Amino acid sequence: MKKILLILFFSNISFSELILEITQGTEDPFRVAIIEFQGSNEISKDIHEIIKNNLKRSGEFTIFDNDDLLSTPKSENDIIFNDFKILNIDYLVIGNIVNDKLNITSEYKVFDIKKSKKVRSSTIFGIPNKNRQLAHYISDGIYEEITGIKGIASTKILYVTENEDFKLIVADADGKNEQVLLESSEPIISPSWSPDSKKVAYVSFETGMAKVFVQDIATGKRDVVIKNSSQISSPAWSPDGKFLSLTMYQDGNAEIYILNLRNKNLTRLTNHYAIDTESSWSKKGSKIMFTSGRSGSPQLYEINLRQSNARPKRVTFDGNYNAKGSYLPNNEGIVFVHRADVNFQIAIKYFDENFIRPLTESQMDESPSISPNGNVIVYAIREEGMGLLSGVTLSGAKFKLPASEGAVREPSWSGFLR
Amino acid sequence: MFIFKNKINFLIVIIFLSSCSSMNITEENVYSDNVKTVKASSSMSENINLDSMAIFANATVYFEFDKSSLTSKSIQTLKSAVDALNENTSIKVTLSGHADERGTREYNLALGQRRAESVSDYLVLNGINKSRITVKSFGEEKPLAYGQDESSYAKNRRVEIN
Repeated sequence: MKKILLILFFSNISFSELILEITQGTEDPFRVAIIEFQGSNEISKDIHEIIKNNLKRSGEFTIFDNDDLLSTPKSENDIIFNDFKILNIDYLVIGNIVNDKLNITSEYKVFDIKKSKKVRSSTIFGIPNKNRQLAHYISDGIYEEITGIKGIASTKILYVTENEDFKLIVADADGKNEQVLLESSEPIISPSWSPDSKKVAYVSFETGMAKVFVQDIATGKRDVVIKNSSQISSPAWSPDGKFLSLTMYQDGNAEIYILNLRNKNLTRLTNHYAIDTESSWSKKGSKIMFTSGRSGSPQLYEINLRQSNARPKRVTFDGNYNAKGSYLPNNEGIVFVHRADVNFQIAIKYFDENFIRPLTESQMDESPSISPNGNVIVYAIREEGMGLLSGVTLSGAKFKLPASEGAVREPSWSGFLR
Repeated sequence: MFIFKNKINFLIVIIFLSSCSSMNITEENVYSDNVKTVKASSSMSENINLDSMAIFANATVYFEFDKSSLTSKSIQTLKSAVDALNENTSIKVTLSGHADERGTREYNLALGQRRAESVSDYLVLNGINKSRITVKSFGEEKPLAYGQDESSYAKNRRVEIN
């Protein structure tokens, strides 16, 4: 019996590949032909697949493969622009991979078909055995050239898995290349990146009580940020990395404080008998948004840090549960968990609009985290009782990330790493 | 409407890009993304006092959704807890608050804490010294029942006294 279960479990693993569910892409996606890169055959194939998936996941591209094309130029001189114009293709990408064991390098070029013109020529110096990263860099270069917006293929996502134990994992933005930061027999929640993406803060229950830790990703060095006898949770970094906002329980109730990481000074931000938690900073660090139960149901509030003794201002009014808010990088709105009736959804509210736009429609969506370019939101979903990560782009495309181990939750998106 | 918003951004950037006609030439190095794995050594105190185990084996009180107020049934349970604590003045108690899985994890952590605090308030009000009480919350992280239905949720909205 045990054997059968084991087999079922493993078949489940191989089954959970990246699922692209482009339910509603942009109305007018960029049509891009990507010729498989010349050189090292197997690596080129892998890299080709990764680039295609990265671009498709954005929901902003229709990708044309070698088989879809009238000609497949190997180099710049082979290009017959008309072969691509006939297919209404907007851009063509060609490139090569040079892999000489010690070094892996890729050169690629992007052509604007309508103008019959080369618009980009890039060289990427890779690291041996890090071909995925090389592919992500190429993807981001192509994305930036075509959209004018910084790409996120080379960014990372932090998340928590629960199997037999709890793990804090960092993976590529496509869910692959998982690396374990922390293993624990007790729960881990609320992971978040430092603004320079070199450290992570999270809540671990390993001491028997919720405590906030900060861990250096490369060295593994970690510390409890405040050593006292009460529980502490919900860490959020200020944009300059000098402060952490936290929820502290020393008064018997959840209140938000700001910790100066250098001198460990604490400043109290909220003072109310209701729950105040889930703080997050605006991109310039001038405002803090948080969830408060002071109106009778959880709602989002913000405090202007530039004003002394500023009173919290309520920002959500529709729905019976609005929580875990974060600001869009361009500061045009907020993303949060919203419940209008019974289902928890991820929603967005733009500051210049007076209504909430739901972005997802399942029942238990939570923990939204926004990509550093502001175009994609990763969040946790439940499917048949299991936790999975899902993504939605502001253009409406949806995708699921592969889950290689146990229940997955609490995603947090890094900053730009390139 | 999102599409529209995005498109405006795109257009601005595209117009900007096309106004400068030079080609982009870039060179970059891939960074190393190595990480160090750490194992947390758990110092969870599983060594619960045997006396208190015997007395409080079933001392769990339950709550309504998003509520931390005590029900009349909870108060019945707590009355016997107070009696037991008064009879055994050497015993200390830990109140662990929990929430069901609906709602955000941090809000539920705070909610579990409020539930444990209202049990603590009741005990203190009934003469138990606060120094004998430890209050903490596990939010929705340690459910007793794993179903996604009201009867499971009801079992998970609790404060365990031990």
